[in-house]
Amino acid sequence: MRKLFALVQRELLAYFSSPLAYVVLTAFLFINGYVFYLIVAFLNNPSVQAMAPLKLMFGGTIFFWLYLLFVVPVITMRLLAEERRTGTLEVLLTSPVSEAQVVIGKFLAAFVFYLFLWLPTWVYVAILASHAKIDFGPVWAGYLGIALLGSLFLSVGLLTSALVRNQIIAAILAFAVLVVVFSLGLVENLVTGAALKGALGYMNLWSHMDDFAKGIVDSRHVVYNLSLTGLFLFLATKALEASKGR
Amino acid sequence: MIEVEGLTKRFVDKDVVANVSFFVPEGEVLGFLGPNGAGKTTTMRMITGFLPATSGSVRVAGLDVARDPLGVRARIGYLPENVALYPEMRVEEYLRFRAAVEGIPHGEVKARVEEACDRCMVGDVRRQLAGTLSKGYRQRVGLAGALIHKPPVLILDEPTVGLDPRQIVKIRELITELGREHTVILSTHILPEVEQVCRRVLIIDDGKLVADGTPQQLRSGFSGAAEINVQLDAPDAEARAALEALPGASNVRGEGSGKFRLAVDGSADLRREVFKLAVARGWVLLEMAQTVPSLEDVFLRLTTHDAETAHEGQLEEVANA
Ligand SMILES: Nc1ncnc2c1ncn2[C@@H]1O[C@H](COP(=O)(O)OP(=O)(O)OP(=O)(O)O)[C@@H](O)[C@H]1O
Ligand SMILES: [Mg+2]
Repeated sequence: MRKLFALVQRELLAYFSSPLAYVVLTAFLFINGYVFYLIVAFLNNPSVQAMAPLKLMFGGTIFFWLYLLFVVPVITMRLLAEERRTGTLEVLLTSPVSEAQVVIGKFLAAFVFYLFLWLPTWVYVAILASHAKIDFGPVWAGYLGIALLGSLFLSVGLLTSALVRNQIIAAILAFAVLVVVFSLGLVENLVTGAALKGALGYMNLWSHMDDFAKGIVDSRHVVYNLSLTGLFLFLATKALEASKGR
Repeated sequence: MIEVEGLTKRFVDKDVVANVSFFVPEGEVLGFLGPNGAGKTTTMRMITGFLPATSGSVRVAGLDVARDPLGVRARIGYLPENVALYPEMRVEEYLRFRAAVEGIPHGEVKARVEEACDRCMVGDVRRQLAGTLSKGYRQRVGLAGALIHKPPVLILDEPTVGLDPRQIVKIRELITELGREHTVILSTHILPEVEQVCRRVLIIDDGKLVADGTPQQLRSGFSGAAEINVQLDAPDAEARAALEALPGASNVRGEGSGKFRLAVDGSADLRREVFKLAVARGWVLLEMAQTVPSLEDVFLRLTTHDAETAHEGQLEEVANA
């Protein structure tokens, strides 16, 4: 446990001492601020139907998805690829920590950093709460959705970072896989077979987020995200074991 | 302590390490020699478990690397060939991290870091970012990290590369000292280093083990044993004939102005005979020295395959010897 803690701590130090963290954070704040402004302006228009602004904020716009698809690979690309390129992996994997511990440590650190990125969005919640009475149920559910989605995306990024030694390639690969994982569910609208439609609907991340933002915590969505996260982390561990010393 | 049996590593279709076996008892400092690309680093990586072997086995403290990798990892300290540190960490932070990963109890970490800093002489850079360290300091911080948990086995891949002469001496002393309580395998290209710190030497060439023994054993087992250099104030042709006639002398080579080199067969000491010869003929003996083969000679002899590739005079000599 202490070993895992040391791994997470080291990784967080690496995050917060790299300029990348601040670039990502700034871009994140900027985009979120912009989206928030758009949503508020949009809802201010009397001709549109009244909607909860936070619902739009959490997965209701394409900006949210675009941003996640871009930023998660940037968060994860360094994790294993860089250790392999510089050679620090050689020391790490000849220390008494297992490959699984290394993967989990990196994942947890990336997850903490990811959650940290979302922290400032509570400002919007506070702004809204000061002007209107808001229901905190959907807010918490929305953040839960963001956390679950994040864990799935981060695990994909970690896997691609385990596969290659070039960060940029790791990021591009992660982006490609994420686009597939994300759009798989959207294909739901294009097919007709009931069984296939059901299956794809189960994988539709957009509608998952929709539900969460409405305050619906569907256990199937939770299971889907967590089991895929587990699968990708397992694959990352296997990839790390298989590629040692190469 | 370390048992290596039939160890083989194949990359693509070449056996980079081919059927290497050796045993290192507890408390021995073993020197690992070989030309560039011989397979030293590859062998060491297989011992640490970082690289899986194609075939063969490695046991460290009775544990098989393939079956119990974590057990082996806990018992070794490894300094890789290219020491890589995390650039954003301060030296102290890095050593604390290494200590934590090695599972040293929280309360002991501080003392261990202190001790490792002292031993490897990195106390003066402890607050510096690892990314800004000079090569020699990086090497020493890497070494400090490798021995922070006082592992029973130390595996050091070219530990003195990049160090200044004073540090080289100190690190050698450190390794000798470590050899009293730890089992050490180190690779190096510096042959005097091996004679100073290693009780035993392995020479590997093109993936195969070509020699195994103490430095003394290797030198005495080297055929062509000693050589004598003499300079006589005498006519060249006469002197050469007389030297060649000496029993036990062979391969007499003249180098002009009365200088000769002759190989001495077996264990005979021909210096007396040469002196007596000079006296008998009334020649003045200007110079005489016997050279015993150095570890360098042994190394060159065992790892030179082709006289054409031997450019330096020294190399050629070994090839004709
Ligand atoms: N990942 C790899 N893929 C293919 N070949 C490799 C790989 N790693 C090492 N080799 C080859 O294995 C051989 C032995 O390399 P190794 O690094 O073990 O040599 P070495 O004895 O440590 O040499 P040096 O003295 O230069 O450090 C070399 O020919 C090298 O090119
Ligand atoms: Mg090497």
